[in-house]
Amino acid sequence: MTAVSKHVVVIGGGVTGAATAYDLSLRGFRVTLLERGSIGAGTSGRTHGLLHSGCRYVADTEVARECYLENQTLRRIAPFLFEKNGGLFVAITEDDLAYKDFFLKKCGEAGIPVEEVEPAAALKMEPNLNPKLKAAVLVPDGTFDPLKVILSFLASAKRCGAVVKPYNEVVGFRVEGGEVRAVRVLDKVSLREYELEADFFVNATGAWANKVASLAGLHVPVKPSPGVMVALDGRIGNRVFNRLNKPGDGDIIIHQRGTSVIGTTSWIVEDPDGVSIPKEHVELMIKRGSEIAPVVSRMRVKAVYVSSRPLVGQAAQTGREVSRSFAIIDHSREGVGNMLSIIGGKFVTARLMAEKMGDAVCERLGVSVPSRTAELPLAPYWLYFS
Amino acid sequence: MKVRLIVRRWKQGWTRPRYDVFDVEADPEESVLDLIERVSLSTDRTLVFEHACHHGACGACGMLINGVERLACVTKVGEAARKGLLLVEPLRGFEVISDLAVDKSRMFSKYPAETQTLEPVAASLEKLYDCVECGVCYSACPIANTYGEYLGPSVLALAYHRALSDGVVPGSVAGSGGVWACHAAFDCSEKCPVGFKPGEKIMKLRRLLLGGRVKVS
Repeated sequence: MTAVSKHVVVIGGGVTGAATAYDLSLRGFRVTLLERGSIGAGTSGRTHGLLHSGCRYVADTEVARECYLENQTLRRIAPFLFEKNGGLFVAITEDDLAYKDFFLKKCGEAGIPVEEVEPAAALKMEPNLNPKLKAAVLVPDGTFDPLKVILSFLASAKRCGAVVKPYNEVVGFRVEGGEVRAVRVLDKVSLREYELEADFFVNATGAWANKVASLAGLHVPVKPSPGVMVALDGRIGNRVFNRLNKPGDGDIIIHQRGTSVIGTTSWIVEDPDGVSIPKEHVELMIKRGSEIAPVVSRMRVKAVYVSSRPLVGQAAQTGREVSRSFAIIDHSREGVGNMLSIIGGKFVTARLMAEKMGDAVCERLGVSVPSRTAELPLAPYWLYFS
Repeated sequence: MKVRLIVRRWKQGWTRPRYDVFDVEADPEESVLDLIERVSLSTDRTLVFEHACHHGACGACGMLINGVERLACVTKVGEAARKGLLLVEPLRGFEVISDLAVDKSRMFSKYPAETQTLEPVAASLEKLYDCVECGVCYSACPIANTYGEYLGPSVLALAYHRALSDGVVPGSVAGSGGVWACHAAFDCSEKCPVGFKPGEKIMKLRRLLLGGRVKVS
């Protein structure tokens, strides 16, 4: 079976859908990507913009290692997308300091190159850090403009013949004989509805995955988990500021272009559409951010926003353990054999998620072409518009 | 507060645009973008607009708000509304795709193949240029609105940065569609949401060219 004879529809124009469209079209599949809004309008566009070193997740060595390897891969295939300035984990309190030895040991286990620096040296590097800091560790973080990363994946997919259709919302599925035959699509540009047939369907709608799957009578165990972020009117550093402690609220400040962003919080909602921002979360971000960098309390807040992570629910019995951090949901147990959903993961691991999804699609369609996204350079985002 | 949101609508195949009115309850502190998104989710799912980062870093949501080019995500409803009215229209100077979304290929297609995205800020430190590539300056510019061949303010400002680092600019930048087409209205700099100052940079690039301090490739 050759890939070129197979048409795959990818639903979702965030980073996972974009990377999946690229992975599949590079393998030779005919790909159409559908997105209800504009590119990156869901969770991905509103990400923090942190190119994770993996150090935030060192409690789980495997997840941390996966993050670090993808961080290195993205730097290699698209250096132009990232501010590759690294990051600092800083201890402000005795409690933070008590976490340091465990942190350094776990970074070593995960194979992430980190380096402890003297507090005075850290303050020289980043003068806006809290002058009372007790310890500092340099890590290989980076930052990015989320939309441009997504557009680069899509530009690369288009170069391989993929068709990208924003403002095209999936409003229904035609399921016959244990297979999805077609999706019903509302084209908001021309105000018409049409049917799109394909051999295989990938649901890459993240926090919305269950809403979309339920249109086909299917279920995805995703738990939408919003987090609040506060953007400051100005840039207060170059290296990412991380609080040296277990993951918690308001423990990261990233800098990108002319802005610094404090994040984040976490709670669970039923519906990722129309999540309201709790005012106390904003106050908490500014308070916690000021502990890392006192200048935060004197800055004007430029924007407050919320982004819903597509967390994997406990009920995710994937049937295939692709990763501890994300899950591919096989709908054949619910009687539909040609559709897979993907949830979990991080923005930084989207390429890897797409690779695993590509492997799963190939297995289903009896195609044996390997993924090549880790070795080839990404097309620059401006080519999306050509 | 009570807000009357008026949106310019246009769909493929229509002969003329239409203005739709949405009477909504809004928090003066929320962004115009959040309000538009809420209307699209609750009232009219066919409302087309472009957005991604929601914090002024990606440039997707540039639009006219009460006649002025702004990024909707960093514009507060309470500050932009006039007597409770909020009129939103697509940016000028670009073709409209649908409603508030415009086709920015006019800007992005002018990028040189070897575009620089990062600038050095100190030893071994780099940052992405402050320009968020939103297209606001094209909409504000009187020349970009009437002269299709004009490279445009943001592209020329980025070319100025290249000229400083490389000492050379492409022929198109020094040609009639380049720095010499600018009429020094400076509305690009006035409306730029990130203070990138394209107008001033175009003037500086002219001086570099006139003084022979920059080569033309």
